[in-house]
Amino acid sequence: MPSPLRSLADDIRQRSDAQLADLVRRRPDLARPAPADLTALASRASTRASVQRAVDALDRGRLQVLESVVWLAAPATAASVAPLAAAGEAEVVPALEDLWAAALLWRSPEGLVPVRTAGEVLGPIAGLGPTWFELGERSGIADPEQIRAALAQAPEAARAIARRLTWGPPSGSVGDGPLSAAEGVAAEGARWLVGHGLAVVTGASEITLPGEVGLALRDGLLHRSAELHAPRVQTRALDADLADRVAGGQVTELIGLVDELAASWGVQSPRVLRTGGLAVRDQRLLAALLDVEPDRAAFVAELAYAAGLVDDDGALDPVWAPTAAYDDWESEPGSIQWARLARAWLASTRAPHLVGRPVEGGTGSANALGPDVVWPPIRSLRRAILDELESLPEGASPSREGLIERLRWRHPRRLPVTVEDLVAVVLREAEWLGITGRGALSRAGRALLDGSEGAELAATMQPHLPAPVEHVLLQGDLTAIAPGPLTGRLAQFMRLVADIESRGGATVYRFRAETIRRALDAGWSADQILDGLRDGSQTPVPQPLDYLVRDAARRHGQTRVGAAAAYIRSDDEAALGAMEAARELAPLQLRRIAPTVLVTNVHPQTALELLRDNGFAPVLESAAGGVVVPPPTAHRALTRRRHSDLLHHQVDEGYAASLVTALRAADEEEQARAEHTADTPEETDPITVLALLREAAAERHGVWVGYSNNLGQVRRMLFYPERVEGGRAHGVVDGTRQTLSVHRITGAALD
Amino acid sequence: MNDGPLIVQSDKTLLLEVDHPRAEEARRAIAPFAELERAPEHIHTYRVTPLGLWNARAAGHDAEQVVDALIQHSRYAVPHALLVDIADTMDRYGRLTLTKEEVGGEQALVLRTTDRPVLAEVLRHKRIKPLIGARVDDDAVLVHPSERGHLKQELLKVGWPAEDLAGYVDGEAHPIDLDQAGWHLRPYQEQAVDGFWHGGSGVVVLPCGAGKTLVGAGAMAKAKATTLILVTNTVSARQWRDELLRRTSLTEDEIGEYSGARKEIRPVTIATYQVLTTRRKGAYTHLDLLDARDWGLILYDEVHLLPAPIFRMTADLQARRRLGLTATLVREDGREADVFSLIGPKRFDAPWKDIEAQGYIAPADCVEVRVGLSESMRMAYAVSEPDERYRLASCAAEKLPVVDRIVARHKGEPTLVIGQYLDQLDEIATRLGADVITGETPLGQRQKLFQAFRDGEISLLVVSKVANFSIDLPEATVAVQVSGTFGSRQEEAQRLGRVLRPKEDGRTAHFYTVVARDTVDAEFAAHRQRFLAEQGYAYRIVDADDL
Repeated sequence: MPSPLRSLADDIRQRSDAQLADLVRRRPDLARPAPADLTALASRASTRASVQRAVDALDRGRLQVLESVVWLAAPATAASVAPLAAAGEAEVVPALEDLWAAALLWRSPEGLVPVRTAGEVLGPIAGLGPTWFELGERSGIADPEQIRAALAQAPEAARAIARRLTWGPPSGSVGDGPLSAAEGVAAEGARWLVGHGLAVVTGASEITLPGEVGLALRDGLLHRSAELHAPRVQTRALDADLADRVAGGQVTELIGLVDELAASWGVQSPRVLRTGGLAVRDQRLLAALLDVEPDRAAFVAELAYAAGLVDDDGALDPVWAPTAAYDDWESEPGSIQWARLARAWLASTRAPHLVGRPVEGGTGSANALGPDVVWPPIRSLRRAILDELESLPEGASPSREGLIERLRWRHPRRLPVTVEDLVAVVLREAEWLGITGRGALSRAGRALLDGSEGAELAATMQPHLPAPVEHVLLQGDLTAIAPGPLTGRLAQFMRLVADIESRGGATVYRFRAETIRRALDAGWSADQILDGLRDGSQTPVPQPLDYLVRDAARRHGQTRVGAAAAYIRSDDEAALGAMEAARELAPLQLRRIAPTVLVTNVHPQTALELLRDNGFAPVLESAAGGVVVPPPTAHRALTRRRHSDLLHHQVDEGYAASLVTALRAADEEEQARAEHTADTPEETDPITVLALLREAAAERHGVWVGYSNNLGQVRRMLFYPERVEGGRAHGVVDGTRQTLSVHRITGAALD
Repeated sequence: MNDGPLIVQSDKTLLLEVDHPRAEEARRAIAPFAELERAPEHIHTYRVTPLGLWNARAAGHDAEQVVDALIQHSRYAVPHALLVDIADTMDRYGRLTLTKEEVGGEQALVLRTTDRPVLAEVLRHKRIKPLIGARVDDDAVLVHPSERGHLKQELLKVGWPAEDLAGYVDGEAHPIDLDQAGWHLRPYQEQAVDGFWHGGSGVVVLPCGAGKTLVGAGAMAKAKATTLILVTNTVSARQWRDELLRRTSLTEDEIGEYSGARKEIRPVTIATYQVLTTRRKGAYTHLDLLDARDWGLILYDEVHLLPAPIFRMTADLQARRRLGLTATLVREDGREADVFSLIGPKRFDAPWKDIEAQGYIAPADCVEVRVGLSESMRMAYAVSEPDERYRLASCAAEKLPVVDRIVARHKGEPTLVIGQYLDQLDEIATRLGADVITGETPLGQRQKLFQAFRDGEISLLVVSKVANFSIDLPEATVAVQVSGTFGSRQEEAQRLGRVLRPKEDGRTAHFYTVVARDTVDAEFAAHRQRFLAEQGYAYRIVDADDL
């Protein structure tokens, strides 16, 4: 019999180019890094890791068919699989084709054979117990008719137990002690089943229903319900235009929020925590600023971060600030802005919903923008959920339960347990992003999923965004209203000179003395501000606003604050004038800030000395304005604690003894290592070791392995592997069970 | 994209573009559930609140109509969350009802629900539990009649307003008829009366001048029972009395006035809020009035000014029919919820056109004059105690020449100078050679001066804050405020409208406020400015030098 590996390789070799291309598209991990040849491709296709990925990607229908094939333990055909899967032959054919195309099955002359690792990956098939063969029992009844006949005569207790174990788990205990000693009806029943060859004892009081018996009790059906086809999802039909409009509204709001965040962080940048991320307090401040729930504030911050619009500025004392990319983004039309955000979200491995939740395996809760928010599964989950939405007709808004049901069918092995929560989170974020509108995928969202990007993607959203306006309406109550999204420069200007009071389709700005002052601080003059307002407004500037601006300007800058290291003051203005003029004092770079005050950036002591050197007679002034009398000048060193020279270099008896013991032990170990490494097998490549161990396990051969223990010593031993999984080989050494870690096996050779 | 006049904001405000061709239509559509908050020149702001939505519910509008109105008139897509929220909020009204039912052979007040979990939820609240009696069945509990008002207040606070269907006592019957000789109730007034009568209790919103008194009279003619009318002040009391004598079958003997001056209790009694809230040694001395007769109807004039103690009294009067009359539901103190639960929901709202006819828009030209303080004054101000600052700024001597200039400018026009501090007023009066009226001025003297002012014999009066609260303050075309405020901002706008009437020849009235620059005085002025501008008054700020 040819070895199984070679046969999959043969099958793969015989595939057409198109089929091979299909294969690597279905299983991208086979293509990267590029395998050397088809044999390498085939061996990679049968590695556990790769098969695991392929199996995890199966929907429940395919999975059931694959389980049926693996269960058969013989080359399978549509005719042999169909009864197990409770389906017509025609129904299972496409599934079998798919599994073959994914190289989870290969074609032998007798029928389809699963790759060997498929069984390992799947684990117990459909909750059935191990077969008689696997249990090591040759005497059990395998024929379904016989099993049913035997059971028909069983006492009620035995039948009850069999019924309990039928749909899994296939094992159960009766009482605590050994089964033979247990009392009661249940124990009787269990003993009856064991006695009549319908169950085996697998533990102290545990019995197991062998797979054949289980299947017979299931009337030959592997699964309780055959689910070859995806369940239908309850949907609410929505006008597709409405969904688009709603999405457009959401996008307008989202862009406004991102703008607001960047505008605020550009001026007052929040600190980056030592552990990375944004402090909870700053997140709350942001929520208050944006006037949204903290959840949503975290989402906006994370989104801006994912899209590269804000980042850690990398300074010594780092803060979160808008990036240069933000400046480009800001000048783009809304639809392009959206496209960038949406694509960033779709590709991001950050899960904003984790913000504020307890960190798994850590203390405290996750901070926005912090490392704990990275959760890679969210990306495929987003995609999975949106793909389900995409499979629905245009404008269909699915019920959440239906969607979850469908997801469970589509990805039975890959969904996290918290899927309900996650679906809610993803749908919420998709809604905020305008990818959906009232739960239905918007046309722009559909384009996003189809992989459009840039201007093409933006064009799908553009008609649903409000047309940008280029003016505001100024009102006498010191508000300004932009009846739509403002374009770049005017938006910046308005945000500078006024606070946003209300956001939505329109933006309401409020002018206050503080906001005008802010603009003045930023270097605008009153006239420039008023000109800016006149240019940006369709209505004349109301008199109170004009007055407010001028009044704020009048008071602005009346007092000034600056820094100096020292001042020189004197009532003798002429003396100060002389100092200013003295060439010798030029190093002080004196500056007159008032008739009687000079300032310098030189340290007071230096200034004092320089002035004295040049014939002036200054005294030092204290912070309280008094004259400082210098302390006595004689210099004294500090008294330091000195090291004691006692207790050094003492070797007492106990210390000597333990030292010698340790040295001796080390020496012995060295010798032992030299002895043991002498006859260990040659070093072998781990892939080869694995293949060797698998083969030996299947054929029940022994293998000589070199195995390194905790101290790094390599020992040679004869190992009888039974199964290899998860990087561990379970088997027998010298009559005792042992589990070896594959990575510690330095070499292996067949006995 | 829809091209409507309305923009829905995420904070539940609605912006209405006034100059839009379909603005009126949109305004009518949103008026039942949204309250007008600001009305400056270009864009009016309405706010959607739970109370507004419940008012709309009580008036028979359903969530669908509200959502439709928003979607139809909105320029941009309305946030879905907002629509859901509206539907949810409206759905909360009416899950609980207060009804009269036969329990154990007796008529009893019962709180009944159509939704058991809601009842369970509200019964768990600490403040509601003591107001509730025994269980009647799974869906109902007994309520002591005296707690009817408190219960409604508390239920509203927890977001489950109860619909009060428990009915009313008829009160002591008294024949009252409208005497419609030569005039008739206008159609909207009849609608208002019917709306109220049908609802049993509640508030009718009508602008000043739209005939609120007649709606009151109409309601009395429906009730045909003894009536207690609560009004803001004695002037108003007299107006009510005159109007009732003219428009109804009531005679002078049947109408009593219960105020600071007179204490008459007759089948129809008009009392002022002030007298009811007067306390002696911590106790309200005139509470007996409320029980003096078996009133069949209680009328509240200017509900938005109703003082807090009256609310407490009203809580005990829930079995009597109550009619609130007002021009606005917005209250300065935020007690709209108490109006809703204790007086009742809005039963009628006048169409905007009528409000406009009243002259909401720019009835007066408001000018704030800023006066710079001298250096010594600024120094004195800077080092003064915070509680003295206001007085110091208000009484700044620099204000006096400015007042002179303003008065001189409007020479011959009836002018009032209004202030808070008596020594300041005395000084102004001396400078201007005018008479001063303060709270201490004897009544006779005051009336004489007012009469002379009205007759045009004198054109200038200096009045104190106390005096400007007096009932018979005459109308003027120029008012100069040198210190203090008119009370709450709401009151200020109202009073302003009343004191300053545009001249018949079309000349506008003027309202000057003289304010000390860079002081707390100016900060107060900023609040006033905002409020007046929001009310649609034209507002200017000038420097004293530019006057």
